[in-house]
Amino acid sequence: MTGLRDALLSRDETRLPGRRDEDWRWTDLRGTLRPLPAVSDAVQPLAAFDEPEGVQVRRFAAPVTAGTFDASLSVAAGETLWLLDRVDAGAGAYARDLALDITLGEGATLHRLVLAADSADAVSVTRAMVSLAPGATFHQTVLATGGKRQRIETAVAHPGAGARARLDGAYLLADGRHSDQTTILDHQGPGGTSEQLIRGVAADQARGVFQGRITVAVGADGTDARLKHNALLLSDRAEIDAKPELEIYADDVACAHGNTVGTLDAEVLFYAMSRGIPEVEARLMLVEAFVGEIVERIGPAPLQDAARAFVADQLEALRR
Amino acid sequence: MLHIDNLHVSVADKPIIKGLTLDLPAGEVHAIMGPNGAGKSTLSYTLAGRAGYEVTGGAATLDGEDLLAMDPAARAARGVFLSFQYPLEIPGVPALTFVRTALNAQRKARGEAEIGAPEFLKRARATAAALKMDFEMLRRGLNVGFSGGEKKRMEIFQMALLEPRLLILDETDSGLDIDALRIVSEGVNALRSEGRSMLVITHYQRLLDYIRPDRVHVLAAGRIVASGGPELALELEREGYDKYASAA
Amino acid sequence: MAADQDTVETVAALAGEKYAHGFVTDIEQEFSERGLNTDVIRFISAKKDEPQWLLDWRLAAYERWLALDEPDWARVHYPKIDYQDLYYYAAPKQKDGPQSLDDVDPELLATYAKLGIPLKEQAFLAGVQGSPRYAVDAVFDSVSVVTTFKAELAKAGVIFCPLSEAVRDYPELVRQYLGSVVPVSDNYFACLNSAVFSEGSFVYVPPGVRCPMELSTYFRINALNTGQFERTLIIADKGSYVSYLEGCTAPMRDENQLHAAVVELVALDDAEIKYSTVQNWYPGDAEGKGGIYNFVTKRADCRGVRSKVSWTQVETGSAITWKYPSCILRGEGSSGEFYSIAITNGRQQADTGTKMIHLGANTRSRIIAKGISAGHSSSTYRGLVSVHPKATGARNFTQCDSLLIGKTCAAHTVPYVEARNAHAQLEHEATTTRLSEEQLFYVMSRGLSQEEAVQLLVNGFVREVLQELPMEFAVEAQKLVAVSLEGSVG
Ligand SMILES: Nc1ncnc2c1ncn2[C@@H]1O[C@H](COP(=O)(O)OP(=O)(O)OP(=O)(O)O)[C@@H](O)[C@H]1O
Ligand SMILES: [Mg+2]
Repeated sequence: MTGLRDALLSRDETRLPGRRDEDWRWTDLRGTLRPLPAVSDAVQPLAAFDEPEGVQVRRFAAPVTAGTFDASLSVAAGETLWLLDRVDAGAGAYARDLALDITLGEGATLHRLVLAADSADAVSVTRAMVSLAPGATFHQTVLATGGKRQRIETAVAHPGAGARARLDGAYLLADGRHSDQTTILDHQGPGGTSEQLIRGVAADQARGVFQGRITVAVGADGTDARLKHNALLLSDRAEIDAKPELEIYADDVACAHGNTVGTLDAEVLFYAMSRGIPEVEARLMLVEAFVGEIVERIGPAPLQDAARAFVADQLEALRR
Repeated sequence: MLHIDNLHVSVADKPIIKGLTLDLPAGEVHAIMGPNGAGKSTLSYTLAGRAGYEVTGGAATLDGEDLLAMDPAARAARGVFLSFQYPLEIPGVPALTFVRTALNAQRKARGEAEIGAPEFLKRARATAAALKMDFEMLRRGLNVGFSGGEKKRMEIFQMALLEPRLLILDETDSGLDIDALRIVSEGVNALRSEGRSMLVITHYQRLLDYIRPDRVHVLAAGRIVASGGPELALELEREGYDKYASAA
Repeated sequence: MAADQDTVETVAALAGEKYAHGFVTDIEQEFSERGLNTDVIRFISAKKDEPQWLLDWRLAAYERWLALDEPDWARVHYPKIDYQDLYYYAAPKQKDGPQSLDDVDPELLATYAKLGIPLKEQAFLAGVQGSPRYAVDAVFDSVSVVTTFKAELAKAGVIFCPLSEAVRDYPELVRQYLGSVVPVSDNYFACLNSAVFSEGSFVYVPPGVRCPMELSTYFRINALNTGQFERTLIIADKGSYVSYLEGCTAPMRDENQLHAAVVELVALDDAEIKYSTVQNWYPGDAEGKGGIYNFVTKRADCRGVRSKVSWTQVETGSAITWKYPSCILRGEGSSGEFYSIAITNGRQQADTGTKMIHLGANTRSRIIAKGISAGHSSSTYRGLVSVHPKATGARNFTQCDSLLIGKTCAAHTVPYVEARNAHAQLEHEATTTRLSEEQLFYVMSRGLSQEEAVQLLVNGFVREVLQELPMEFAVEAQKLVAVSLEGSVG
């Protein structure tokens, strides 16, 4: 297995994933992370952050040089948890590999908001391995602002059996930032549903990547899995790469994915401007609306508010 | 107020407006009628500043200022308002947010103070009531899922709140039912005033029964081919545009 | 309605046995020595009387090939091919270059008659009712047997002949364009083809000419343990139009056979090429024994402004299909289309799709791919849409639909999208479903049998693509779709 963690721990650059690895074709760490920084436990101080109420907050500080971190969390059967995972930015060039295990018991509900803030020079990989028990509900929203290389990966082991998963996400990228949202939704048993909506915006020389694989195993009949990725390119030097994937081994299924890449609708822009809204404002308004749909899908109000504030900050970055 | 002098406009390299001259004094309402494809919407888009409408000759000024040199937002701040023949949908932006953003952007451009949320909401409620619009609808994405007639009403709603000086109504009557036509016309008439001019594009005399024009122009093949008083509209209704086919 | 076990088994049993073209022609053939080395390449080149430059080209390709690795990224599995165990050249023994049909071995004529491929021009000229009129280049293993309507096409200025003949008669054209779309070392199989290619068709349509009839090449593999490495080159000069169709069949054998073709299309300013394929190579039996490995590189270069290339494929055969007919949209305002039906049954595996590379401004592409999997088969759509920074105003629309019949098959969709221009618009939609129970019931309630109902719905599913085929072949293709899925119930 290649991976950032393996490379950091073994001090072996060749184990870094790179362009030739199918799942990392657009997130080349090998070409970026040389020489490998030294791994240490030292972390950067955490910036002030208003913790929303009624929410469990986990903050993951940025390493000073390079670091690997683990955390696990489980939601007991029948319980409900609102969780905010904040991947903190820190400063400078650092490399971070974060591995998070999440387990949901039978009938448990987890609303998870991931705010992925990294520094512009960071190489940062956040991997969540989520395992659902029958009847569990998992709602996740990932908001990302990119780094030098930023990858947020969510793998869900979905048992079917009435469990529901919703993986939403948005990336808002300016300057030369890169962000990669990768999801792997593995429907392993009959009767499961999943839904994904990812929206992305890339301005300047930024690069947004989305990869979403839905697999439906033999026997996972009655699966209903849907995925949508919509991206906007705001500059001719920005790039969007997408790979929505379906891998289906059961026949009694309804699976669909959709992908669009485009730019702000010129007619709509004109319409807004004809009402007196200056172009920059009109663009931001439309971008905000585009990403706003993701925020509005977040159920618990404290999480939604935190998400809205995070997006508002990033829109300011896009204004520049 | 508005002077258009020998205007030439091309769309996708195709000449559409070919030497159009029109004078709209302050406080007057002029109707423009003309066959499909004559260039009426092209004229209104050009006045509003839509990209792709290339002015190849002539001039258009608003109170002596060169309108054509300004971007659409600047024109709006100067008081130009186009009620679109086909209003657009903007998902994710509630109508109220949209109008308030526009209003304050215009005020800012004119060096006026912003209008606060409570005051704006008060005005919006009153306007919606006058136009018999469901206020809750204004909290949804602008025009999303609205019927054709509802969209037209939304245009007038915006117009009423933005209080422009030059109103261009591009077929605002089409798609309206009988009651809506009356309500919308009343909304427009309420805005008639000394300092305000209107260009009313329509195919039907019916609208002009409500919004009495000072003058009526016939636009055919990119030019004004005839002008007259309100009686011209009645004549057109009876006789059609045949007579002007050759003039064009 | 998921297929019940009985019907699934029936479908499985039918795979292979339904293959109508599985006979072997008993004819004396000449082979190259077994295996691959520079001598074999020299032998092939000498057989074709080739000029030195082409031999050098082949040898250079062979050098490159030795250094390449066989690709493993496709979702197909097969035992390692022993490239030294194959014959790279096989040809029916005959007096060299038959000048007319009378010179052609009657055994071969009988073969084509049996396959339903018309080789007699007279029949059409006499206006036999209902018979289609299209020119055929008939390729048997490594050589072309006959090309029809050459004279009539020549009158319009259209060149249609075997590639080896074009090398002799139009060396400048061949030299200018060969390998210009698919470079020698583009990929493992294309590189192998460049070293050992034996036959294929050459088409040149001069400026402003609309080719007066459909052109077609019919590929037949006959010899045992022999690979077929045809190479086709089509050039549509400015403002010209040509529609070309290829068909393919092979005998039923327990051994797998390799088919590694290269097709290059060049469309200059305002030219249009319509390229259709009805691929019906032997798919192997129900247990996956035998069948053709169809590893093909097809690419079009829309070099000219407003040029257009349209690929339509109906892929029902082969044990393994590895094929991505692509368009390089270089010319401003050029457009590419890909319409595909891929049907897999038994143990077939297909990994097929397209690449649309938008380089020029205002380029357009459209992809409609329909996959149907039954039995123990697996079908993958793999496609790339890429928009480069200069491709302002580029547009793509992609629709991929998969239909699964039975619980042991698989369907995959793997689209890659790379966008680097803020004034491009790309849209991709994909669905995977089974035949709807309600629809089946509805149709059956109108009096159709289950089988007929399935056929009707499947035809509806693939209709958008079938419509793109030239009329003469659409009917045939529809039958082929039906046969490939006979006995299957969704
Ligand atoms: N983008 C475009 N490209 C080419 N021609 C255009 C374009 N937009 C408008 N036209 C043409 O310009 C002409 C005038 O169109 P316009 O919409 O101004 O007509 P109109 O008078 O408003 O007609 P209607 O009464 O139907 O609304 C028509 O012939 C139309 O086809
Ligand atoms: Mg109009």
